[in-house]
Amino acid sequence: MVRFHRMTLAATAAGVLLAGANSSFADNMKPQGLWLTTDYPAITESIGQEATLSINLANSEEPPQRVEFSVRDLPSGWTWELQGSGKPISAAYAMPDDTAHLQLKVTPPKDIKPGQYNFTLQGNTENGTMLTLPIEMTMAEGKPASLSLEAKLPALRGTPKSSFDYDLTIKNESENDTTLNLLANAPDGFQTTFKEQYGNQELASLPLKAGESKTVKLSVKPPADVAAGDYKVAVAAANADMNAKTGLLLQLTGQPNLALSTKDGRLSGQAEAGKEQVFDYTVSNSGSAPAQDIKLSASAPSGWKVEMDPKTIDQLAPGSDQQVAVHMTPTDKAIAGDYMVTVNARGDGLSDSSNFRVTVTTSTLWGIAGLGIIGSALMVLALAVTRYGRR
Amino acid sequence: MQRKGSPFTGLASVAMKEAADHMTSPRMHLVMLLILLTALGSIYGALGEIKSTVSEDPFIFLRLLTTAKQPLPSFVTFLGFLLPLIGIALAFDGINGEYSRRTMSRILSQPIYRDALLAGKFLGGLLVIGICLVTLWLLITGMGILMLGLPPSGEEILRGLTFLLVSLAYAGVWLAISLFFSTVFKSPATAALAGLTLWMVFTLFWGMIAPLAASGIAPADPFNQMSIIHQAEVGQAIARISPNTLFNEATIAILNPQTRSLGLVFAYQMERAVMGMPLPFGQSALLIWPELSGLLAAMVVVYTAAYVTFQRQEIRA
Repeated sequence: MVRFHRMTLAATAAGVLLAGANSSFADNMKPQGLWLTTDYPAITESIGQEATLSINLANSEEPPQRVEFSVRDLPSGWTWELQGSGKPISAAYAMPDDTAHLQLKVTPPKDIKPGQYNFTLQGNTENGTMLTLPIEMTMAEGKPASLSLEAKLPALRGTPKSSFDYDLTIKNESENDTTLNLLANAPDGFQTTFKEQYGNQELASLPLKAGESKTVKLSVKPPADVAAGDYKVAVAAANADMNAKTGLLLQLTGQPNLALSTKDGRLSGQAEAGKEQVFDYTVSNSGSAPAQDIKLSASAPSGWKVEMDPKTIDQLAPGSDQQVAVHMTPTDKAIAGDYMVTVNARGDGLSDSSNFRVTVTTSTLWGIAGLGIIGSALMVLALAVTRYGRR
Repeated sequence: MQRKGSPFTGLASVAMKEAADHMTSPRMHLVMLLILLTALGSIYGALGEIKSTVSEDPFIFLRLLTTAKQPLPSFVTFLGFLLPLIGIALAFDGINGEYSRRTMSRILSQPIYRDALLAGKFLGGLLVIGICLVTLWLLITGMGILMLGLPPSGEEILRGLTFLLVSLAYAGVWLAISLFFSTVFKSPATAALAGLTLWMVFTLFWGMIAPLAASGIAPADPFNQMSIIHQAEVGQAIARISPNTLFNEATIAILNPQTRSLGLVFAYQMERAVMGMPLPFGQSALLIWPELSGLLAAMVVVYTAAYVTFQRQEIRA
């Protein structure tokens, strides 16, 4: 009543919003009684599907009442079930000023003919009141199951080391939820993996709701030693009823690969401090394209002289190799022991390096000096003996 | 004064007699007992330390000699301390003892030269020390084989033998010093005290004297890097006058194969060096050769001094 007054005052003061005042008035005067309603009393379903209708049991300003449900005039072969909070029920309480939400599941037989079918949901209260809800259901032919599979970028280009990731959009155009198997048919040695679009989980099958579309990623990894050329990968998404296919293309270009090693495979050697020593290296190209403009260099301890012969290789055909002589001269102040020298080969984006351990030996010159010291001491002794030796 | 016959006539018999005398003397027995006890103690400590800490080492028999277990120092440190003591103990009354026993003229009335007497005394002492060292080394190696259950490798034996050679040269220097004092001083007690004093100076105080003398000779300017390096080099040169320093450096390099240098090492020399790798034996031997030749030359020079003193003495007095 307070609200009504306020609204009336507001309406009179403004002199407008008469309709608003009216609706407030009607809201206050809402109907009394029990109702059984549904959102869509006349619906169309496709054949083969079960229909679910949401039912509301409304009570307005009536005492609580128990309502028993039944379905009348259901065509033969049809079954029904009423559910409340997910459980099968046959009766419900209508509480005052409250609405109970129920679900009616109706399952028509599979071989039904298209057409209109009527039935009535009936609710009986304890005091003999009968609530009825007539429902018209039209059964129609379902759309044929269909699926689409599309690659955003169906042809990719790269070297055998690059990764080929194809984004595939799969759309379920049928009216049923389904689970699809994902298949890829690649040339021998190519590895294929289906993954989530943004994730690392590998997929074997993909659940899709009716009308939903999802994007998955197909990674193709070519074998490292594959020749340059075009390779085809066939992709399919399928279940028992339907399937969709598409073709993908990989364009592989060749790639050079540098490998640096010593002639006999040993990665250690000896060198005397201050003296040049030559170690034989081999640069080979184990890739599938020629390597251009290879530069050879070495990182050595400071004071060392390391020279390459030759310093650069203009071109190295795939599968061929080139001898390189590495001239190392440890500094003459080098302390005996093991040192690391890193030999590098670099050429347009490629590089290989190998650590070479050089055992530096020192000159035996100082050894002779030590002998000289002992010798001169002995000379002094000999002189003393000749000078002071007595008869 | 042309002499007749070889000056080495009778050298062998004097040396053998001298060695035999040392071997049976209670003085030698006491010194040997002392060394044996310290050897057993330090090796036993080292064995325990090795068993509990070292997992794998290609030079485990060398570790036996160099590993110390608190409170005992390592065997090598003990030897650096005790070898001079044996040298002094064996020769402090070598010449003056003969005078005081009045046996000098009796010996020299035999058909031998004075040269042979002095050389024989020196070689006899050296022979005894050599026998002791070899015995000790065999004892330690045997203990190691028993306790560790491993045979020593060829390189370990080679390094062990080199270590024996260095020790012998070191003991020889002190033997020569002691022999020199026994010719200079008439009283054996004075000679022994003089030897012990020198021993104390070289083993205990030389480590303090050398840097002090270096800062006097080559003052270091804190703003001049080169003068600091120069002072360090002078200090090292002075330290190397002491046979102790030479012995310590040589044993470190020969018993720790990872040792690359005994002098100053600059950072650029260690650039890209593979640390912790053992040097081959030849390189380690080359590293200690200056120290070893220094010890050998010092031995010869001190012996020459003793020889000259002895030759110029009146012996009939």
